[in-house]
Amino acid sequence: MRSRARESATADLFTAAIPPARRTAPALGAASPPPIEDAARSRVKHLWYAAVFASWSDTEESAVRLRRLCLHALQFTPRISIEMPNALLLEIKGSVKLFGSLETLHASIDAIWSRLELAARSATAPSTLAALWLARAGKRELIEDPGALAGKLAELPVTATAWDPAKIHTLHALGVTRIGELLRLPRAGLARRFGREALIDLDVALARQAAPRRTFVPRERFRERCDFEAEIETTAYLSQALEPITDRCSRFLRERQAGVQALELRLTHRALPLTRLRFGLASVTSDRRRLADVLVHRLSQLELPAPILRMELRSGPLQPLSAASLEISAGLRGAGRDTAPQLIERLRARLGEQAVYGICAVPEHRPEAAWQRVRALQVDSALRADTARRAGAVLRTAEICEPAGARRPVWLLEQPSRLQASDLRHWRQGEAVLEEGPERIESGWWDGKGIARDYYVMRRAGGERLWVFQERQSKRWYLHGVFA
Amino acid sequence: MPKPTPARAPEGREPRMDERQASSLADILADARVWKLKDASANPSSFRPAWSTGRRALDARLPGGGWPTASLIEVLLGAPGLGEIQLFLPALVQCQRKASGDTPWLVWIAPPHEPFAPALAQEGIELARLIVVRPTTATEALWAAEQTLSSGVCAAVLLWLKGTDDRWLRRLKLAAEAGGALGVLFRPERHRFESSPAALRLLLTPGALEPQLEILKVQGGRPGPVDWLDSSVSRPPEVGSVDSIGSGSSQP
Repeated sequence: MRSRARESATADLFTAAIPPARRTAPALGAASPPPIEDAARSRVKHLWYAAVFASWSDTEESAVRLRRLCLHALQFTPRISIEMPNALLLEIKGSVKLFGSLETLHASIDAIWSRLELAARSATAPSTLAALWLARAGKRELIEDPGALAGKLAELPVTATAWDPAKIHTLHALGVTRIGELLRLPRAGLARRFGREALIDLDVALARQAAPRRTFVPRERFRERCDFEAEIETTAYLSQALEPITDRCSRFLRERQAGVQALELRLTHRALPLTRLRFGLASVTSDRRRLADVLVHRLSQLELPAPILRMELRSGPLQPLSAASLEISAGLRGAGRDTAPQLIERLRARLGEQAVYGICAVPEHRPEAAWQRVRALQVDSALRADTARRAGAVLRTAEICEPAGARRPVWLLEQPSRLQASDLRHWRQGEAVLEEGPERIESGWWDGKGIARDYYVMRRAGGERLWVFQERQSKRWYLHGVFA
Repeated sequence: MPKPTPARAPEGREPRMDERQASSLADILADARVWKLKDASANPSSFRPAWSTGRRALDARLPGGGWPTASLIEVLLGAPGLGEIQLFLPALVQCQRKASGDTPWLVWIAPPHEPFAPALAQEGIELARLIVVRPTTATEALWAAEQTLSSGVCAAVLLWLKGTDDRWLRRLKLAAEAGGALGVLFRPERHRFESSPAALRLLLTPGALEPQLEILKVQGGRPGPVDWLDSSVSRPPEVGSVDSIGSGSSQP
């Protein structure tokens, strides 16, 4: 292959040697290799193994079975794709060297199916559809060279394409029974009669066109059940029984280099419905100490509605561990110290999810809408102190939404409260002074919560500063914030 | 554990020291045989870096030249809204900006109202590193306070706790020392005459025109009223201008 590429490159240097057909596309300089050779080299990047389980027809059932088979096939390659209703595609290019030869690799994959006593037909080809069609036709071919594809595919019956029966029928009526005959048909006519999809299928099969496929992602969860010999009534015993399970959960996660962010504990009672406890973790983790910490703190708060017969620990979806979640820095800081996620989890486990939150500024003129609670705290992404640019951006939004120099109080009252008569009296007597204002805020007509207010900074007799406003329509005075 | 810098401690303790005698006095103080009474900052093992309060008059009155970190500060309030947060905001902003590595966390436990995000953003607080905790009971609030102070994750923890007795304050102080965090406890003025283990006790009361700040207790310094709304504030101009309006109008 490489020698051919070099050949054509040298041929390019002597332009006269290039055949006339090639000369149509040579706007590219002599230095860049000809596009056809380039495409040919990229074609062998993939090698697809297809296994077809012809006897399976029930879609739902086979979907479940195929997913289970994917787990078996994961030992050969991480890139597995399910072709409904009854086939698997494995990208095995990267594994060939490991197994010695393609023949050995192919045979070892085949061996799984026979060990599981499944009737499978298989083939390997440089393109997905070619492998699939060969396998469907029952030809156990191992093709590595994309150039050989057309010849091998030509013998297959058109039914191997698994196009819809109407198309196959039309093809048969035209006298086309083999794929080779199909390939000989003029492309324009083929596209007109059978649609562009048919043409694309043929191009993909001949590895002229890439066909990206969705890779199967194993959806694993940790799940372990524990049946108690006698019903338990105290949570203390429960947390004790959970300890080995948490241990195994952590090991399970570590083996998969994954972590979880959610756990669920299901407690079964004799008569009452299931008690479900959901635990959230502040960041993805597989650390046994953190998992146990959250469980124990939460259980210490739990009041059992009834004795427990059985418990089951289930993990949420597995997520890859990021470098930040490995908490290398935490190890350096000293063993006894916590990390921010740990602290947040512990607080949340005991005080409740709602009790621990962050806040963020929202670019909005109405003070009530200018902030929000943030439940998902960014504990994973290391926020560097030197990223002053980001801090600057926050400041800038604050400047955009507030006119320059307009002060905002540190405390905002949940609901504006009417100013008391005594305050108004003090004010009239000159003891309370309006220091700043008015600042008119008139906004929000679009969502039915419109406001029209004049805000002032009021200084009370003792030096307390309040943020007050007068509603423009009712002329009533309200307290909305405190400059603490 | 911060590095002990004993050489700096005596200077901070006596800011108005006579220049001529400074070197010889410093030599004497550096002598290990000289026992220094009630001076926490002079003991190298217990010395912690201090954060500037952003007000020169106040810095001068505090040992180390600022808020002592890894300790508990108690602020007694005559009324809410006397600028008690403003007192600490410059230090909080500085500790977030100057920190090397990951920006430290700030935790506010059981604040009396909702912290208004735009105001804090205006001041320069990194909101992504601020946590608000709202425990339902006083006991849980104390538990949360102890956990956050001792965790070593938070740079500063602002607390509004009810039902704090001497025993709990001592626990909080130990937690703050263990975690290296600055704990600021806001309490009503009525606790003024109760004993407290806090390293620094401040009293903020309404004044004739402007709030009055008084140091009730300070380890290694002198208690007494502080002219904290001094014109020599090293603060951003927009707040400084408002402060100067108040102090300009004949304060007693």
